[in-house]
Amino acid sequence: MKRLRLAMQLAVMVAAAMAGVRFALGRSVTTVETYCPFGGLETAYAFFTRQRFTCAAGETNLALFIALLGLTLVARKAFCGWVCPVGALAEWEGKLARRLFRRPDLTGAWRVPARADRMLRVVLRAAVLALVLGATWTTGELVFRGYDPYYVLFSAHGHDVRAWSYALLGGLMVLGLLLPMAWCRYLCPLGAAIWPLSAGGLLRLARDERTCTACGACDRACPQLIEVSRAGIVRSGECTLCLECTGACPTDSALELRWAGGKP
Amino acid sequence: MRAPAWIVPALVVAAAAAGVGGARLLAAPSVVRDFAAHAPGTATRRAVFVVDGVRCVDTAERAAGQLAGVPGAIRFTAWAARAKVEVTYDPAVTTAEALREAIEGPVHDDSTGEFRFGVFAVREVNGVEVESIRR
Ligand code: SF4
Ligand code: SF4
Repeated sequence: MKRLRLAMQLAVMVAAAMAGVRFALGRSVTTVETYCPFGGLETAYAFFTRQRFTCAAGETNLALFIALLGLTLVARKAFCGWVCPVGALAEWEGKLARRLFRRPDLTGAWRVPARADRMLRVVLRAAVLALVLGATWTTGELVFRGYDPYYVLFSAHGHDVRAWSYALLGGLMVLGLLLPMAWCRYLCPLGAAIWPLSAGGLLRLARDERTCTACGACDRACPQLIEVSRAGIVRSGECTLCLECTGACPTDSALELRWAGGKP
Repeated sequence: MRAPAWIVPALVVAAAAAGVGGARLLAAPSVVRDFAAHAPGTATRRAVFVVDGVRCVDTAERAAGQLAGVPGAIRFTAWAARAKVEVTYDPAVTTAEALREAIEGPVHDDSTGEFRFGVFAVREVNGVEVESIRR
């Protein structure tokens, strides 16, 4: 499963990079934005109020966003763990930070107390989401482009990417080493938009207390810093169903993927 | 109830396929501009162009501006994300080729008052690459 996930993340990344380069070279009229589900949310207001699309957004963005909502209702933030190239890079950076700072887990150099972390995840991301949507819906422009790591990374110097966009991206990458997954944890507006649905996702990890040895291997493996070993059922809206925890668990059947509502 | 691990990637792939495949159900234009009402009973035709340079609402509006005042042009519709433009026209007055030339013509820049060339390049007309038409 680990290999399959890596293969999917790499495939998405290569496809995004190719789309960006092909557009930049004039070989295609489809930009890398076409495949961003967040564009669907950005254009949703114009679509549902005026049957028009905003700026460069189109039906693929909107359809992907709707499909993402469906996916999240079942498989939580699986998009983040299996598809999003920014999430993949953030995760790899976290693994690099673990080596650099010789940490047993993926917390990086800076540890944010659990309570503050939970609050910041909600408040900061919601603020970014509100700001981006407010600005997009009032101006009719995709104002987020220059700040969006996905667009800055994969558009091959696309429209609205400026020198400060690269500076910001560099800053985020440094931050991602000190505070792994910082973008996803505290800033990503798409993560904020799907988080409420993710918390109720039908698929969830369940820990069997009878077979669990409380070794904590799952906690150390979780890129989202979820304390799996303390949960009976992982209900966190941050879980990406990456299955790193099940892979790390040395005990058979202590951690299992289950459908909500089923018998334990 | 226990769920197999493969269900997660399977759901991800299914969602991606549903998103890309279902896009056509949500097709709506980025820009629609009416130039002239056509007389009832007269035949109209549609020309579909893929236009390099049409990539957002602003650029689509500018492309629409290229057809404003062109005799026979009735309606301009653009789907910016696909660089697609559809023009409804009166075939008794104009042709798809004339409309293409109008789209590709110099663009007046309101901020500088100058004309800019090569802003729009038509790649396809009615599903046929422009080069093949020229040949
Ligand atoms: S939180 Fe945002 S950037 Fe991170 S993986 Fe999810 S969608 Fe991608
Ligand atoms: S709890 Fe397990 S599946 Fe969920 S994000 Fe953490 S490691 Fe991945």
